[in-house]
Amino acid sequence: MVNRTAIIKQPDNISFFNDVYKLQKEYQEALIVDNSNPDFIWIGEHQLCYTLGRGSNYDNLLFSLNDDNYDVFKIDRGGEVTCHMPGQLVTYLVLDLKNFNKDLNWYLRKIEEIIIKILGTFNIDCHSKEGFTGVWIGNKKIASIGIGCKRWITINGFSINIDCELENFNKIIPCGIENCLMANMIDYNKNLNIQEVKRIVKKIIQEEFNFDFVSK
Amino acid sequence: MSHEIFMPALSSTMTEGKIVEWLKNPGDKVERGESVLVVESDKADMDVESFQDGFLAAVLMPAGSTAPVGETIGLIVENEDEIASVQEQNKGNHQPEVSSADQLELVSNKTEEKPVAQNQIVEKQEKEVVSKSEKAAPSFNSDQINAATSNVSSRVIASPRAKKLASQMGVDLAKVHGSGPHGRIQADDILKANGQPVSIPWIGEGGSTASIPGVNLGVESKPETSGNSFGNPGETVQFNTLQKAVNKNMESSLDVPCFRVGYSINTDKLDNFYKKVKQNGVTMTALLVKAVAKTLKKHPQVNSSFSENGISYPEDINIAVAVAMEDGGLITPVLKEPCNTDLFELSREWKDLVKRSRSKQLEPDEYSTGTFTLSNLGMFGVDRFDAILPPGTGAILAIASSKPTVVANSDGSISVKKIMQVNLTADHRVIYGADGASFLKDLASLIENEPETLVS
Repeated sequence: MVNRTAIIKQPDNISFFNDVYKLQKEYQEALIVDNSNPDFIWIGEHQLCYTLGRGSNYDNLLFSLNDDNYDVFKIDRGGEVTCHMPGQLVTYLVLDLKNFNKDLNWYLRKIEEIIIKILGTFNIDCHSKEGFTGVWIGNKKIASIGIGCKRWITINGFSINIDCELENFNKIIPCGIENCLMANMIDYNKNLNIQEVKRIVKKIIQEEFNFDFVSK
Repeated sequence: MSHEIFMPALSSTMTEGKIVEWLKNPGDKVERGESVLVVESDKADMDVESFQDGFLAAVLMPAGSTAPVGETIGLIVENEDEIASVQEQNKGNHQPEVSSADQLELVSNKTEEKPVAQNQIVEKQEKEVVSKSEKAAPSFNSDQINAATSNVSSRVIASPRAKKLASQMGVDLAKVHGSGPHGRIQADDILKANGQPVSIPWIGEGGSTASIPGVNLGVESKPETSGNSFGNPGETVQFNTLQKAVNKNMESSLDVPCFRVGYSINTDKLDNFYKKVKQNGVTMTALLVKAVAKTLKKHPQVNSSFSENGISYPEDINIAVAVAMEDGGLITPVLKEPCNTDLFELSREWKDLVKRSRSKQLEPDEYSTGTFTLSNLGMFGVDRFDAILPPGTGAILAIASSKPTVVANSDGSISVKKIMQVNLTADHRVIYGADGASFLKDLASLIENEPETLVS
C-alpha cells in the first residue's frame, strides 16, 4: 500500500464539538473536490455534549431537547445517541476509502481492530461483539463508533472512555442499547493517562493506514 | 425521461440498507453530485448523490424503510414538467412493495406508541422503532407520497410465526424492527425485542449438552411457538430449490443398505469444559465436531464411502453439520480438517459459516465437501433420533440432548449423570457394525474422559 499523507491535529486543550465538526467537514469537502488533498486525523477531547446520528431515535435522549443544560448536536454519522466529555478520547478520521477499501463494513471492523490493538497495548483485553458495533470488555462498552461517508470519504470516527464521568451516559440510552453498561480504561489499568493513550492511538492509526503524518 | 436512484451497496456483505432520511423532497431541484438521501448500514451512514441535474420526482421507499441493494428507491427527472407524469405512473407502486401476498399486515396500536417505547425496547442498536411517522412525514410534501408513508408507518409487516410469537410473548409488533426483506418482522426479531437471546434451533447450534434444555427452552411452549409451516391450511405449496435438492439427496439414501448403532455418552466433564471455554467464543458444535474428527482420525473406515470402484478413503476429514433453513430445506456447511484447526478458530469458522448459510452466501465448496455429517437436535430436548445418510458419504451421527439421568455405576452405586445419546447411521457396504461400534466407544471415551484435549 502506498503511503498517504494525512494531516494530524491533536490539541491538548478541550475542544468545542462544533468547531471540530466543521473542520472535519472542510477536509471532507476538500477531498470530494480534489482527491489529491490529504486525509485528516483529529485526536482530542470535547466538553460535555451529546450527539445524534441522522437516523437516531430521540427517545434515547432521557432529557428534553429544550433543556439548555445539555449541548446536543445532530451530525452526519450512523448509529444512535452518544455522549462526549473530558476524559474520553475522541478520534476522527476523514479518509478517502477509495484508497483503502470501498466497503463500510470493512471500515467499521477495521476500526474495531484498531481499538482492540490500542487497548491491547495497555494490556486490556477487549473484544468486538457481533451485531453491536463498538468495543467491549465483557458486557461493558469501552469504545463507540459512528461513521458518516460521502463519496467514500469518511467523517467522524470513534471514542474511547479513558477516565471520564460515566454518569453522563445515564442521561441517554447509549447507542440505543437499553441497560448498556459503560467502562473506563483506567478501571482496567491504573497506570495509564490520556496523553499516553493519545500517543498510542496516533501510532496505531499510522501503522494501520500507512500514513505519513503532517502535524498541524 | 426519468433516472432511477438505486439502493447502493455500502459494503460487499450488505444485502439491504435502511433509508435514514431523504434530504430532498419530491419536486425539489437537485444538482449533479448533490446528496439526495442518507442510507445506513450498521453504524455507518452514507450520502447518496444524484448523478445528474434535475428534479427529484418520486420517493419510492420512504425514510425508515429498508430496501435490498440495487432496488429503485427514487426517481429523478431532467425537466420540471415531467414530475407530475412520473408521480402518476408510480402511484400505487408503494403498496405492493411493502405488502406482498405472504406478508401479514397488522394495524398497530397507535395510542401506546410513544410512552412505552423507552422502557420496552431492549436491544435497539440499529433497531429502530417502527413509529417513524413523526420523522418521515415532514420531509414529504406531495399528498401522494404522504399517503404512502403514513400507510407504511401504521402497518406492520410480520411473518406468521413472528406474529404468533409476538402475541404469545406480549411483544408489540409496532415497536419491533424487522430484519427481513422490506423490514418484515421475523421470529428472531420478536425474540430479540423480548430480551431473549435468539434461539437458533434452525442452526444445529446451542446448548445441546451444556444446558438443561427443559429449563432454557421452555419445553411446554416450544412446540406451540416454533412449529414450522410454509403454507396455509388447505394449500399445497411448491418445494423451493433447496427443498427439492434435499428431497433428491434423501431419496438416494433408499438405495443404500444402512444400519444404525447408538451409544449413551456421559457429558459431565464436557459440560464443565464447555462452561470454561464458552466465554472465549467456543461453541458446542465446534466441540462436538472436534471430538468426532479426532475420533475419525483413529477410525478411517468410518470416514470412508462407497464408490463403484470400491471403498473410497478421502484425503481429508471434513465434517458437515446440518443446518435447517428458516424458509425450508437444509444445508450442510463443512468444517474442513478440524483436526488441524484449534478449537477457537474452529468456533469462529463455524459462526461465520452459519451466518453465511443464513444469508445463502456459501460457496459450493463450503457445503458439499463433507466426508462425515453431524446432525444435532439436542437443543430441542429430544432424547434420540436417527438421521438419513447423505449421498457420497459413509456415515452420519445424530446427536440428541444431554439430560440428567439416573445411572447405575459399575460398583453398584446409583448416581445422576448428564447422558447424551448419539446414533450413527452408516452404509454397511463400507462400514460394518463393529467399525461403527468401536468408533462410538472411542468417541464416548474422548468426551467422557479428556474433553480438555479438544482444544488443539
